[in-house]
Amino acid sequence: MNEWEYHPPPDIDETMVEHLRDFPREPYMLIYAIRSLVALLLRGWLRVYHRLRIEGRENLPERGSFILVCNHTSHLDTLCMLSAVPLRKIHRAFPAAATDYFFSSLPRTAVSAVLINALPFDRTAKGAQSLTLCAELLKNEGNILIIFPEGTRTTSGELGRFRSGIGRLVVGRDLAVVPCNLQGGLKAWPKGKLLPRPRRLRLYIGEPQTYTHLEKNAAAVKAICHDLQERVAELGSLDA
Amino acid sequence: MTINAAMHSDIFLWYLVIIGGLLALAGIAIAILHVLGKDVAGIMRTYRGWLIMVPIVVGVIFLGRTATIVGVTAIAIFGFKEFARATGLYADWWMTGIVYLAIAAIGVVSFVADPRLGGPGWYGLFMALPVFVIAAILLTPILRNRAKGQLQQVALAIVGFVYFGWMFSHLGFLANTSNAYGYLLFLIFAVEINDIAAFTFGRLFGGRKLRENISPNKTLAGSLGAIGVSLTVPWLLWFSFEHFEPLHLVLTGLVVGIGGQLGDLVISYIKRDIGIKDMGAVIGGHGGILDRIDSMIFVAPIFFHIVRWFHGLA
Repeated sequence: MNEWEYHPPPDIDETMVEHLRDFPREPYMLIYAIRSLVALLLRGWLRVYHRLRIEGRENLPERGSFILVCNHTSHLDTLCMLSAVPLRKIHRAFPAAATDYFFSSLPRTAVSAVLINALPFDRTAKGAQSLTLCAELLKNEGNILIIFPEGTRTTSGELGRFRSGIGRLVVGRDLAVVPCNLQGGLKAWPKGKLLPRPRRLRLYIGEPQTYTHLEKNAAAVKAICHDLQERVAELGSLDA
Repeated sequence: MTINAAMHSDIFLWYLVIIGGLLALAGIAIAILHVLGKDVAGIMRTYRGWLIMVPIVVGVIFLGRTATIVGVTAIAIFGFKEFARATGLYADWWMTGIVYLAIAAIGVVSFVADPRLGGPGWYGLFMALPVFVIAAILLTPILRNRAKGQLQQVALAIVGFVYFGWMFSHLGFLANTSNAYGYLLFLIFAVEINDIAAFTFGRLFGGRKLRENISPNKTLAGSLGAIGVSLTVPWLLWFSFEHFEPLHLVLTGLVVGIGGQLGDLVISYIKRDIGIKDMGAVIGGHGGILDRIDSMIFVAPIFFHIVRWFHGLA
């Protein structure tokens, strides 16, 4: 008689807290259910409270992995980007979130891991290591990475300089990058305020870009960052 | 079972005293060992686990019948989840989902009254539910139009439901009896004492192994010692069920002593077959949920039927 094959998961000996800190995450039914429910409520809330409108949703690639880049004015950016992704793909959308902020305490880790499905991104010491993690993630078909290339929230409303990470991630790779711009975030939820205010939000999604043809060097990385920064800025000027 | 009833129940209060006293004694013993310079880190972790688990379990029983049935059902669901993850059944969300629903249904059936006969708990459906659940599990591959690997999935789901869901949930159904505090508190207490006795005697007495291919640390002497302890415990705690005759006390002791260790061995060979050490890591120092409740799974239904046969459930 043939023996059965069992496939116990690699994280079987970990406590619940360790599960939360793990990345990539093992799929859990309960967490998927909670995340889907919260995503649904979030969409309703953004639509009613912030009158969120999303322009250019048709620009999102139907298949394959891709990256969404956006300006970063408030925590609402992430939530609006997640709301632009079709609900059935919500568990495959990973906003890159600063480890030193979003994974600093247990409650924050729980929210980041369960509700937001955040990818822990170390923006201080191990930048290269975190980028490798992103690259690995995008190798799997159908994953969506959400990145804020400015690296932190702006307080002035001016679009900051794009860090080189996004360029290093896509240069010479067959990966689509979709530039986005969220308008209204700064007024709706300024940095440091506890709760958002009922201000209008508009998310503009631009056409996907690829940089497969470029050679891997510093100049190309710089050019990509510059190009994406301009495209994001341009989308912002649509809002009149 | 209500909060008010618990506060006026001599049985409940006695168990509070006994359990609280034993935990305090154990704490003092560990402190003395520590002062004597013994390494107590491992024991301390296990002890801390007890300090978390005991108040939760006692608190749930204190809250009453609803909380007890919900609590037992939740443990059954999370216990099955550990089994499903360990065996890889968890990758099949259809099967896992159906068993989750079925265990939840067992909880509901333990709670609602029989529409024709009345009374707390729907005993008839409680006993008949496995027929329907097993049918549903067997029909799932047909609905999904799948054949490859389905026998394994179906078999694992049925074992998972019947063993971890249904058999264990007999504990929750005991909350419907008029002597719920006595039965529940005695059973949980006696099973844990039996566990501890088996572990301690196994350490103290070497000699012939009990089942060397399943659990190499267990010895025959340890096992017999635990049965001896478990045969004594019902006499010491006779106040839990004053209507029991001596024969019932002996049967209860045997069920706890033998059934408890069998449950342990079942989980042991499941783990050994899969090739893992613990079923999970939820409770610090105790492994997963199943590593803690394994001994109860055989004891709960057999004790339940002893009670029902000799005294009825009302």
